[in-house]
Amino acid sequence: MADKQQPFSAISETVLVVEDEVLLRLVIAQYLRDCGYKVIEAADADEAVLVLKQPDLVVDVLFSDIEMPGAMDGFALAQWSRSNRPGLEVILTGTVPGAVNAAANLCKEGPLPKPYEPQSVHDRIRRLLAARPPKKG
Amino acid sequence: MLAVQVAAAPERPTVLLVEDEVLIRLMIADELRGQGLQVLEASNADEALTILESSLSVHLLFTDVRMPGRMDGLALAKLAQARFPRLKLIIASSREPEEPSRTSADAFISKPYDLNQVVEQVEKILAQTDHGR
Repeated sequence: MADKQQPFSAISETVLVVEDEVLLRLVIAQYLRDCGYKVIEAADADEAVLVLKQPDLVVDVLFSDIEMPGAMDGFALAQWSRSNRPGLEVILTGTVPGAVNAAANLCKEGPLPKPYEPQSVHDRIRRLLAARPPKKG
Repeated sequence: MLAVQVAAAPERPTVLLVEDEVLIRLMIADELRGQGLQVLEASNADEALTILESSLSVHLLFTDVRMPGRMDGLALAKLAQARFPRLKLIIASSREPEEPSRTSADAFISKPYDLNQVVEQVEKILAQTDHGR
């Protein structure tokens, strides 16, 4: 059974999951909810940008597929996020080896190859959030 | 394989929410999850059909009528009711759908959404199934 322990304040953090394959999206989203995160689901980058443009919606981590239909793929979404939500932690995932390697400079720990185990996503999120400077106030 | 893991979890009343506007979908999904319901989100009819045809249990289909793509909410509802006769159905629209779509649904909710009405209707319909609380 996967370890879902929460060693720090994960319970209040929000993860935006961007995945065009609906069954994959709902499974990882539910897993992360069971881990205690608030999860927002987006079916593509356009939906994700709409969410990230909302000033009252706090998002701590963007977890996005690289290969997605539409005008913007995961790379473009990550770059948009870097410019518009600088504090956002970004995790990219994908199946194309070249694309996965190219994601390395957009993510602190490099990309997460697909198929992934939900536990590995949780571990990556925990590490990123633990490494963040403490919030002021 | 992953979907099977979710299906094996203890069964809660499950709502399949189909809405193409992400912020509205998020608002409704949050509200229903806050009531202890399991909510599966779909951004269009194709995604909804993928979920319905998977091993996941769905007790109530809650769909918007106007959606982009090859199938709108009424076509989705008709197809879903034909394939899954026990599935409960709520249709949401800014305009009241014409007969027989109106009467084939278990409830109709007008948009813009009133969250209290959404929760009330969803719980009322689920109470008619084995998964009411």
